[in-house]
Amino acid sequence: MKEISFRTDVLPLKDELFRLALRITLNRADAEDVVQETMLKVWNRRDRWAELESIEAFCLTICRNLALDKLKRADNQNTSLGDEEGGGEEPADRSYAANPEEQAVQRDRVEQVRRLISQLPEKQRTCMQLRDIEGKAYKEIASVLAITEQQVKVNIFRARQTIKEKFQQLEQHGL
Amino acid sequence: MDYKYIEQLLDRYFQGETSLQEEQILKAFYAQGVEEMPEELHRYASLFAVMNQREQLGSDFDERMLQLIDGQESQQEARTVELNKPVKARTISLTERLRPLFGAAAVVAILLTLGNAINASFKQDDTWIDADEYANRGAVQVDTNEPAVAYEGISDSLTIVKEGLRVSTPPDSLSSGGIN
Repeated sequence: MKEISFRTDVLPLKDELFRLALRITLNRADAEDVVQETMLKVWNRRDRWAELESIEAFCLTICRNLALDKLKRADNQNTSLGDEEGGGEEPADRSYAANPEEQAVQRDRVEQVRRLISQLPEKQRTCMQLRDIEGKAYKEIASVLAITEQQVKVNIFRARQTIKEKFQQLEQHGL
Repeated sequence: MDYKYIEQLLDRYFQGETSLQEEQILKAFYAQGVEEMPEELHRYASLFAVMNQREQLGSDFDERMLQLIDGQESQQEARTVELNKPVKARTISLTERLRPLFGAAAVVAILLTLGNAINASFKQDDTWIDADEYANRGAVQVDTNEPAVAYEGISDSLTIVKEGLRVSTPPDSLSSGGIN
């Protein structure tokens, strides 16, 4: 059995975890906190790493739960998610520097798509994030969310259908 | 570029029927530039642009994380050292050991004292008397205060004695004459 090391196996998951947390909390600072908490938690349970089937799925599960907790607390404090969304997503765009020119042209539309995805129910959003952005198999997603593969497929189907409908609506309004 | 194939993929994507590989092809297709594609495909360019955008944490995150974990580590070490310290047996005197019971004992003592005091004061009021004394007092009371009752009582007992005598003496012609 391969020895799992924090530096080489857990730490590199930070961006993936961050994106998942960001999709749920819709706030960069919160998402970063969540990733930190997740890694601490994973580190503190290092005596059980050997029993895990996948350290990645384990990290993602913890990350999702912590992000949901954070979201719940934020709701309790009556902070408006709409405000956070605006403040949280913009710096995310700036941090992406791989293709700045195209991004400048498409910024508005990309922003719109982000908002569309943010409006999806959390489960659909998380499924879509893990599938379409992280490229995970249905089976992995199912184990992270503790649901069946069939449910994952249904969630992804609904998410994509909603996105498609919204796109068509935008198109009609635009014309 | 075979747009038909991409269109097909796109349809299947929205039906949730694409494989991971096919989704990868779609993403790659949109990543390489969107200028000259048909409107039908261009429409979804922004969706795949979002998918191709992968937000990242700042580069200082690793360092902070490792520091945090080192901090935890040393904290935990401190804790294990604390736990592994040899425990010295403390000598506890009997008084020290029973100290928690002192309060309870005091409460019980106070309750008993109070109970006795209350009991005693009630009894002194009217009931603290011997049975004999009570009987005597009753007799005296009957004699002095109710002469009629006393008289009746005595005459009743005298009647009983008289009856007893009459029953005990056989109706003998000889003796009956003598008594009467």
